Amino acid sequence: MEFTIKQCVAWGGGLTSAQDWQDYAQGEKVLSDTQELPALKQIPAMQRRRLSPFAKLALHCALNAADDCLTTVPSVFASRHGDLAKTSKLISDVAAEEVLSPTQFGLSVHNAVGGLFSIYTGNKAPLTAVSAGEDTFFTAIIDALCKLSANEYQQVLVVFTETVVPEIYQDYVAQEEVDIACALLLEPAGQGEEIYKLSLQANTENQQSENSQMQVLDFLNFYYSNNEQVNVNSKRHLWQLTRTINK
Amino acid sequence: MNDLIDEVKQLIIDTLDLEDIEPADIDYEDALFVDGLGLDSIDALELGVAIKKAFDVKIDNNSDDSKKHFYSVKTLCEFIAASRN
Repeated sequence: MEFTIKQCVAWGGGLTSAQDWQDYAQGEKVLSDTQELPALKQIPAMQRRRLSPFAKLALHCALNAADDCLTTVPSVFASRHGDLAKTSKLISDVAAEEVLSPTQFGLSVHNAVGGLFSIYTGNKAPLTAVSAGEDTFFTAIIDALCKLSANEYQQVLVVFTETVVPEIYQDYVAQEEVDIACALLLEPAGQGEEIYKLSLQANTENQQSENSQMQVLDFLNFYYSNNEQVNVNSKRHLWQLTRTINK
Repeated sequence: MNDLIDEVKQLIIDTLDLEDIEPADIDYEDALFVDGLGLDSIDALELGVAIKKAFDVKIDNNSDDSKKHFYSVKTLCEFIAASRN
């Protein structure tokens, strides 16, 4: 399916502006392990106090990418591990037979950030939460394209967020992770706009290991370059993303 | 009692992540929820757990009595002091 990307907002690895990401795609900037979190001044302090670093990254990108349609846009929130720092703290508390924090418990489910977005904006449009292993980023786009096509929506917001997993889980993750969120506002392509096409095939090569690079970085590297296509192979899929100008 | 008041105020700030609020900003008799300090129902649950942990007192969820106990710092302190005796 063809689509266009109306907005792209990403914050991660110390890179926070479109200019930063352009420099990254040109090889002039690299990712850092440490970064400041978005201030999110638009959210009142009494609501902001409950936002984890994961939620702050996600909401900053979502609110800025969907600036014109905050109260109406349907959305797909995607993350491979979710807010695992929060979840693993709860699991430790269960193991230690401590009483669980009701706030932490309520905000630890996979679609909690989507819920926070919905509460803050008053947006009651359909919202899904996606987790699909190393293919999470592109799978979220597929889900959004299905929504655009099946429901004839004018636009769909995709919000991908990942934070580095807690130390106890790090041996199980092959990818080099950074704390990052990326929000895309997708629309059916109109005249004179850039048309993107995303396709996938099964990877029959029996690839043994996951990619070391996160898909979201493959995407940002492509989006901010002058290239016309990018191929990303995962253990299970061969993804191809192309762009051309609609004449 | 003054020690207890300070302890309860600090517990409220720490438990509920009230970043910009000092103990002196929390009035002794004002409402903690909705109109006063502006706390909400999730805060009430959270505070209940924290008070149970810190002072080893038993709180009945949703009873009219607990609503009275959680009205202000004053009522909370009186409740804790009475439960300890």
